[in-house]
Amino acid sequence: MLLDVSHLEISYAQKGKEPKPTVHDVTFSLEKGEVLAIVGESGSGKTTVIRALLGCLPVGGQMTGGMASFDGQDLRTLPEKGWQKLRGRDISMIFQDSGSMMNPVQTIGHQYVEFLRTHEKMTKSEARAMAVEKLALMNLPSPEHIMDSYAFELSGGMRQRVGIAMAITFQPKLLLADEPTSALDVTTQAQIAGELTYVTRGLGTAMIIVTHNIGLAAALSDRILVMAGGRVVEYGASQEVMEHPQADYTKSLLASVPEIGGRRYVE
Amino acid sequence: MSNKAHATHDVILRVEDVTKKFPAPGGQELTACSHVSFNVRAGETVAIVGESGCGKTTLLKTLMNIHPPTEGRILFHGEDVTKLTGEERRENYRHIQMVFQDPTAAFDPKMRIRDIICEPLENFGEVRADEKEEKARALLRQVELPEDFTDRYPHNMSGGQRQRVAIARALALSPEVIACDEATSALDVSVQDRIIRLLVRLQEEKGIAYVFICHDLALVSLFAHRVVIMYLGHVMERIAGAELQQACHPYTQALLRSVFSTDMEKNQHISVLPGEIPSPLDIPVGCPFQTRCPVARDICHRESPGLREIAPGHFVACHEPQAPLA
Repeated sequence: MLLDVSHLEISYAQKGKEPKPTVHDVTFSLEKGEVLAIVGESGSGKTTVIRALLGCLPVGGQMTGGMASFDGQDLRTLPEKGWQKLRGRDISMIFQDSGSMMNPVQTIGHQYVEFLRTHEKMTKSEARAMAVEKLALMNLPSPEHIMDSYAFELSGGMRQRVGIAMAITFQPKLLLADEPTSALDVTTQAQIAGELTYVTRGLGTAMIIVTHNIGLAAALSDRILVMAGGRVVEYGASQEVMEHPQADYTKSLLASVPEIGGRRYVE
Repeated sequence: MSNKAHATHDVILRVEDVTKKFPAPGGQELTACSHVSFNVRAGETVAIVGESGCGKTTLLKTLMNIHPPTEGRILFHGEDVTKLTGEERRENYRHIQMVFQDPTAAFDPKMRIRDIICEPLENFGEVRADEKEEKARALLRQVELPEDFTDRYPHNMSGGQRQRVAIARALALSPEVIACDEATSALDVSVQDRIIRLLVRLQEEKGIAYVFICHDLALVSLFAHRVVIMYLGHVMERIAGAELQQACHPYTQALLRSVFSTDMEKNQHISVLPGEIPSPLDIPVGCPFQTRCPVARDICHRESPGLREIAPGHFVACHEPQAPLA
């Protein structure tokens, strides 16, 4: 088992008060190469869960109960040094807008090379060659040109591809994707979903994708975990959850997703 | 204030051949909208759909008289509103109001809900100070919010509640048209569902027309009476919302094929439109969609296809219209 999370509780410290858990009793597991989608509405705790798995909860947040182990390592007791080895190598993350994680006054190439050399001993030209190769994997036209560009010069879809290329550079065992297509147009969203499918099905990387787009979650994942109010309301095989939802919450959530050919609001 | 008939089918707003160009560095011109035409009828929702950069927001701003078009006219009850100036132009805003994507940014954070909702009324001298509370309560009732929200500040509310306040503010002057720029895009699906139901109820009660900018095709297919599909500033197709699946422009079809569904079976048919929208500084000669079109042929690189009516109310700008997907 690659990732095993059971009865996980996450709390935020509050001034002069007992920490109050915001995420309760979350249990799931992930095999190598498997894709899990966490769906839910804003404030349901879905992002908090994956941030905890990357050891980067906002200030005051920590795992206060249950357990989480990745590849045999206990994430609750992992020292900072251990996290540094894990992050960006074995577990990496892509965000809603990869552009905002980039330095606006440095070229993509500069940052990519720096990232590679932080994790691996290599010369600048080796790093550059590797970066170009990874960018090409993501169907980016003229990767050499991208390396010399600044984040603001790229479109949202291109930035997202750069983000994914960087995240999969070291062939991580687990990719965490936080709303990776939410800021994109439908056509670009389908393109990025294609790249993510290549990463998971082609390269065999396990992925947890957090999204509020339930259709996208259904299309990409093996299993779906539905969260509401910091708790798991449903967890099961994607097809099963989509076709035979058990929880009332899941049913009403699915009913509110607009579908082409569905029931119209107007005559 | 005129009494509006419920859901009549009179055209109240005509967008006629609107072109909007912006000057760009180096003496270039950026064409954001090119010869866009459509009508808005009372009590009807017209959705404008397209990828970012297709000119939909520019079009809406032109419609709202925020900037004048380079060419073309916008007729509201037969009068060209783009020619209005000064007080007449201001008066025009009684009839056409706007709801934005992000209500947090659209409100002054230091104003109470009462003042936010009543501000349009105050601008037109339609409310006395001692009537404000009552007016605000009535408007909150219409958008199904508790009346005691009048004393709140925007930050004390959820995203969905704030969007309801934005709708209440747009309703204050009893406008005939409300322009919505991605008004539900930032909301969760269940909240979106409730907001759309609210908009539909208000439309049925008051005969309001919506010009609804949206990139969610699935939503548009369920909510819009008519849909205008734009690409690179050009109208590609105009079709009834209920018939969106009958679309025959390759671009509209590509958009439809990109929409993920909760139906796992349908997701098998997702197909990817390659490439990106070209720069509006450099619109190709001929059809604007030629660079990404799977069925482009010689003529598409030479001649720009005009809009042709291929079925009643269904217009397509394509040399090679396709058979419908469904």
